[in-house]
Amino acid sequence: MKIFAAAALAFAAATGTVVAQDFPNKPVTIIIPYSGGGSTDLMARSLATELQEMWGQPVVVENRAGAGSMIGTAYLSQQQPDGYTLLVNTAAHSTAPAVQKDLPFDPKNDITPIGMVATSPYVAVSGANVKSEGFDQFVAEAKERPMFFATAGVGSSSHFSAELLIQQAGIPADVVHYSGGGEAQVNLMGGHADVYISTTASVMPYVNNGQVKALVVLAPERFELLPDVQSSGENGVEGIEIDGWLGLFGPGGMDPALVEKLNADMNKAISTDRFKKVLEENFVVAGKTTAAEFKEQVEKEMDLWVGLAKERNIVAQ
Amino acid sequence: MDMFSNIALGLETALTPINVLYCFIGVFLGTFIGVLPGIGALAAISMLFPITYHLEPTTALIMLAGIYYGTAYGGSTASILLNIPGTSSSVVTCLDGYPMAQQGRAGVALAMTALGSFFGGVFGILVLSLFSPLISGYALSFGPAEYFTLMVLGLIAASAITEGSAAKGLAMVVLGILLATVGMDPQSGTPRFTFGTLDLMDGLGLSALAMGLFGISEVISSIRTKNDEAAPASARSVTMRSLIPSRDDIRRSWMPMLRSSTIGSFFGALPGTGPSIASFVSYAVEKRVSKTPQRFGKGAVEGVVAPETANNAADQTAFIPTLSLGIPGSATMALMIGAMMVHGIHPGPKMMTDQPTLFWGLVMSFWVGNVLLIILNLPLIGLWVRLLTVPYHLLFPAIVMFIAIGAYSVRYSAFDVLTVAGFGALGYVMRIFAFPAAPLLLGFVLGPLIEQHFRRAMVLARGDLMAIVERPISGVFVVISVLLLGWSLWSTFREAGKRKLLESEN
Repeated sequence: MKIFAAAALAFAAATGTVVAQDFPNKPVTIIIPYSGGGSTDLMARSLATELQEMWGQPVVVENRAGAGSMIGTAYLSQQQPDGYTLLVNTAAHSTAPAVQKDLPFDPKNDITPIGMVATSPYVAVSGANVKSEGFDQFVAEAKERPMFFATAGVGSSSHFSAELLIQQAGIPADVVHYSGGGEAQVNLMGGHADVYISTTASVMPYVNNGQVKALVVLAPERFELLPDVQSSGENGVEGIEIDGWLGLFGPGGMDPALVEKLNADMNKAISTDRFKKVLEENFVVAGKTTAAEFKEQVEKEMDLWVGLAKERNIVAQ
Repeated sequence: MDMFSNIALGLETALTPINVLYCFIGVFLGTFIGVLPGIGALAAISMLFPITYHLEPTTALIMLAGIYYGTAYGGSTASILLNIPGTSSSVVTCLDGYPMAQQGRAGVALAMTALGSFFGGVFGILVLSLFSPLISGYALSFGPAEYFTLMVLGLIAASAITEGSAAKGLAMVVLGILLATVGMDPQSGTPRFTFGTLDLMDGLGLSALAMGLFGISEVISSIRTKNDEAAPASARSVTMRSLIPSRDDIRRSWMPMLRSSTIGSFFGALPGTGPSIASFVSYAVEKRVSKTPQRFGKGAVEGVVAPETANNAADQTAFIPTLSLGIPGSATMALMIGAMMVHGIHPGPKMMTDQPTLFWGLVMSFWVGNVLLIILNLPLIGLWVRLLTVPYHLLFPAIVMFIAIGAYSVRYSAFDVLTVAGFGALGYVMRIFAFPAAPLLLGFVLGPLIEQHFRRAMVLARGDLMAIVERPISGVFVVISVLLLGWSLWSTFREAGKRKLLESEN
């Protein structure tokens, strides 16, 4: 009997597919590389709830915050690639490595992108000091009075998307860094800084409360959930083809069959009615990607940000 | 006119049996967690956060908020009895609370703290329910320049906290500011003193530093100085009568309560500052306005009442930016907003009109919570004082364990536990050479705020220093700072002159 079990185990280890079919047979941990309460935290927790019901195994959420999500990501890179430790992160996954040079892992090889949970374009919002309603007026206003773009911190996705818009639209502007999107937007409301760019999930609550104005969507076309907001593309700004997203990741070197299974389960989880409501509340749409497509997008963005960091002299090394 | 119907609606919501029950659970847990050194509201609320998915949003918030302001009640207990702060906003309470306990007045200190906490809490709730929209409007006019000058003023005002050698106190403030520079440069992203490790990218943790410097170092020095039967005899024979403050205690305390409530409410309402700064500043103010500043640090009841009143007031007004702007002033407040977002509610200026049941129910539950806390805390004082009779060989290992759990649980980081140990060793060395630890913490709390806001103010003013003085609010802060500094220097020289005169007369 023992010999049989050992043989079965060896067989399972050799093929890997069996591992994927068997998965999960013990509790799974999902790391959130931010502290609790933010929109990323809440969406990741909702995803964990869906997966827990689907798998019939506890899916435990751990907030390992710090270093612009890189502390949680570094921790993930050191775990076994068996699917029992996963991570949910935003596009900070691809921006942070462009400014943090001494990461203890290789962002491309030591992390496996599994799939995109949700996506939305970046939206620029303007504060009390900005008079313009539309983007074309705004560019003219900025020529009169150079603008201040507030970010959620050096190397955050709000920082890189601001740099990209300033460069591609030729806006006279300086960047000022805050500690988090909340502080950045409260400075917009008080008229201390002018523009903040982030995903719909973090700006729309304040837009809907009338505290900041939606200025422009950073995309070639308008966004389906915000049909009244102009896009940068229709204002003749080219070269902005990046979207904000929320993705599921595992440690590097995962078995492709396991990645496929996790991708399929994740796509099933995000299409439940309950999760659709979560997406709707955060003004995002479900991500529809295979693991390969997601990996390609993540790596393309990483290269884009490294290039932009060099061009705009962002890294102060 | 609407006020009364709002209050009625709020009370109706807050007084439903289920909400009173969860309010009680919250404040009870809060008191308990506040008493345990190292485990703060953030860790407790994070652990209980998943519960919010299964509760009505109002009920969930009432409970989480109860934990939050309940910790400020409990936080002073260990400060007074053991010289180990329960939370970082109760550090200042050690300065006079522990001497009071050593004089056998632990019961009085705890009773006055509970009264001060209640007073501050009630004051904060009044401010919150009457002036929320007004205050959040003012809070918006605080930009980087205003924060910078306010923090400079805070640093100058609170420097009075130093006991003994002024040079040593100043050195510790500077060391605190230097320690706060560890981590990523806020404007350029350059790592500073991180030694290539990610764990230091966000700097050293406030809680880890406070627990090491004050908690662990106290435990280490107790091992050397206290033997097992050292529990003060007064603690063993504590009677209900000994808890009752004298008329003198009350007389000394009511003005500090009023002033500290105002100071606490002000700092609480500003996002990004909060109860720790409020406690430092209120203590310093009391010491400055006192006719007998030499009593401070030796068991002055004002020195216990002031910080505890201020941190409770600040805990209540911290809900102003959270509820009326939707901006969390701290990591704990971010969790509160999260608890609402789970239910699709985004707090903001429309909160009062769109969600009156939630808003007023929550605010009115604070009354319920504060009444529950004072009922819970006064009779418990006897129990807490009896804690001193637990042999140190059992008590201290337990404290070290709680501090380690508290440090680890914030972000599952073993590094943070090592930080606590490191600062425990530093704190012990500082004690041996009589370097005060409170100024170090003050520098550590205010240093990064001063730096970040100054750097931002400079970017926004395109490098023009005068812009800070020209803005009306920050200009006023600069003038007050200069006057205060001038007055301090003048009075120091005058004191020195008097002393010389006395010496020559002798």
